[in-house]
Amino acid sequence: MGSITDAQLRTLYRTLLVFATVGVVILAIGLVQFAYFERPGEASGVKASIVGVYKYDPATGQTTGPDRSEYARNEQFAAVVEWSSIPSNITVDARWYDSFGSIEGGVGPGTPADLANHKTVPVQVPEGYHYVLPGRYTFVVERLEDGVPVEVLGRRFLLVDRQ
Amino acid sequence: MITSTHPPAADPESKLRPARYGIAIAVSALVIVALITSSILNYVFLDSIPGRTSLYGLLAVALITLGTFILVRAYDRDRATRRVHLIRAAVLIGIGVLLWLLVIDVFLYTQSAGPGVAAVCALACLPTTAFGLWVVRRMDRNHKEPWRLVLVAAAWGAIVATSLVVWGETIWESTAQHTLVPGPGLDTSLAFMAGILEELAKGLAVLLLFLVMRNEFDDVVDGIVYGAAVGLGFNFLESISYMTNLYSIFQPEGIGGVAAGIQWYGRQVLGLFFGHATYTAYIGAGVGIARQLPGMRKKVMAIVAGFIIAIAGHFSWDAWATFFPIQNTLFGLVEIHLRTLIMTGPFTAGLIALLLFGIRYEGQNLLDQMRKEAATGQGAILPQEVPILASPWQRLRQRLQALNRAGVRGYLQVSRLQTAQLDLAMERWHRERKEIDTPLEAEQRLREHVIQLRHWVAA
Repeated sequence: MGSITDAQLRTLYRTLLVFATVGVVILAIGLVQFAYFERPGEASGVKASIVGVYKYDPATGQTTGPDRSEYARNEQFAAVVEWSSIPSNITVDARWYDSFGSIEGGVGPGTPADLANHKTVPVQVPEGYHYVLPGRYTFVVERLEDGVPVEVLGRRFLLVDRQ
Repeated sequence: MITSTHPPAADPESKLRPARYGIAIAVSALVIVALITSSILNYVFLDSIPGRTSLYGLLAVALITLGTFILVRAYDRDRATRRVHLIRAAVLIGIGVLLWLLVIDVFLYTQSAGPGVAAVCALACLPTTAFGLWVVRRMDRNHKEPWRLVLVAAAWGAIVATSLVVWGETIWESTAQHTLVPGPGLDTSLAFMAGILEELAKGLAVLLLFLVMRNEFDDVVDGIVYGAAVGLGFNFLESISYMTNLYSIFQPEGIGGVAAGIQWYGRQVLGLFFGHATYTAYIGAGVGIARQLPGMRKKVMAIVAGFIIAIAGHFSWDAWATFFPIQNTLFGLVEIHLRTLIMTGPFTAGLIALLLFGIRYEGQNLLDQMRKEAATGQGAILPQEVPILASPWQRLRQRLQALNRAGVRGYLQVSRLQTAQLDLAMERWHRERKEIDTPLEAEQRLREHVIQLRHWVAA
C-alpha cells in the first residue's frame, strides 16, 4: 500500500506543480504589465511646479485662501500648476485621483503651451453626489508617450476629512 | 491524529520534533521581529492611524501568539496538566483579543464609522463566516479536524495575519504612491502587494500549525481545511474593515448602508469561498502534500508551489478584476457574479479537484489500514465494521440507528467509537509510511481506548 500512496502523492504533487506553473505565468504577465506602464529609464529630470492647492469656487472658477493640504468634504479645491516650468516639447497632462484610484478631474493631454490657460485644475464632485468623497487625494502632473503616462513630473497629496 | 483522543502522550524522545520546533521558533521569531520593526517604522515615519494601531496592537498580537502556542500544545500533554495549560491559553488569548479589539475600535472604527456600525458589520459577518467554517470542516469526510484547531486557524487569519499585513501594506502602498505613476502601473504594484504580503501572512499560520501540530495535520485534505479556515478568518476581518470604511465614506450621501451591504454581499456571500478561502487553501494543500512527501527538496517545492498559486490567484483578481466589463444596468448584477465565477472560479475548481483526489486517496488508505487492523484480531476494528467505517453514509446510518436505540447518548458514544477507530487507522497509515514521531506504545493505547469505547457502546 505504501507504494500506492506514493503513486497517489505523485499525482497530487505533479498536479500542484502544474498549477504552480500557471501561477508563475500569471505573475510573469503581471510583471510585464507593470514594466509596460512603469517603464524603466523614463526619468527625464524635468520637474513641474505645482504652486499649491487652494479652495475653489466653481461659480467664478477662482481660487481663494492659502495653500492647504487638508479640506472638509463640503469644500471644493483646485491645484494651480505653473505650466511654464515645463519644457515645451513634451506632452503632459494633470489629473486628480481619489483614494479609490478613480480620476476626479484633470486637464490635458497637450503641450505646456496648450495648457497655459488651464493653470487651475479643480477636483470634480462625482456625478450624482453632493460632495467630494473623503480620503486621500493625489494630484499629478504627468509626462505622456504615445498616450501613456510614463513619468510623474510633480505630485501633491491632500486629505479630505470624513466629517 | 491520535492526539484528538485521550491516551497518546507525545514521544519525548523523538528526534524529529526538535527540528520542527526549531523551525517553528525561528519562523515565529522572524514574524515578531518583522512586526516590531514595521510598527516602529510606521509610527515614526507615517504617524498614521494604522501606524499607531500597529504599535499599540503589538502586545495583543504577542499575547495571542503565545496563547495559541500554549493552546495547541496543551493537547499533547497528559490530562492532569492539560487543564492548567488550557486555562493559561484561554486567559492569554482572551486578554489579547480584548486589547486588540479595543485598539482597533478606538483607532480605526470609531474614527470612521463608529463602534455601533462596526458591531453591526461584525454581527452581519459572523453567521456567514461560521457557515463557511462549518462547510470547510465538513469537507473532510473521513477524519474531521478538531474545532479548536479550525478556530485557532481562523483566529490567526483574523487577528495576526491582518495585523501583519496592515503594517507591510502601509509601507508598500505609501512608497508606491510616492514613486509610481498613478494608474495601471500603480494598480499592478498594489495587486502584487496584496498577493504577496497577504498570502505570506496567512500562509505562515498554516505553516506554523503544521510545524507545531503535525499530528493533527494528516494530509492534503487537512491542509486545505486549515488553509481555508485561515482565509475565512482573514476575510471576516477584512469584510468588517471595508464595510465600516465605505459606510463612513458614503453615509453623508445617504447611501452608507447600501455601500456596506454591497461589500457584505461581495465578500461574505459571493466571495466567501472564492476569495481568501481558496487562495490560502492552496497554501494548505502544498503543506499537506509536503507533509507526506519523502525528501526535503520535494517538501520545499510543494510548499513553495502552494504559495505561488495562492499569490498568483490573489494577484490576478486584484490586478485584473477591473478589466472585466460591468455595465451600469440591471445586467451589471449578472456580470458581477460572472466576474467572480470566471476570474476566481478556475482557481476554486482546481482546489476542489485536489480536495476530491485527497479525499479519495485518504479513504482508500484508511480502508486498507482498517482491513489490516481487523486482520490482527485484536478487536479494535472488527471485519464486519470495515465497510461501515469506510463509508461516511454508512457511519451516519449506524449513528442514527444508535440514536433510535439509545437516544443522544447512544449517538455520541457510537460517534466517539467511530472517530477513535478512524484515528487508529490514520495512525497506522502514518506509521506504515514512517511519517509519525509518536511511539508504537501510543498506537497500542489508542487501540485499548477503542476497545474500552466499544464496551461502553455495548453496555
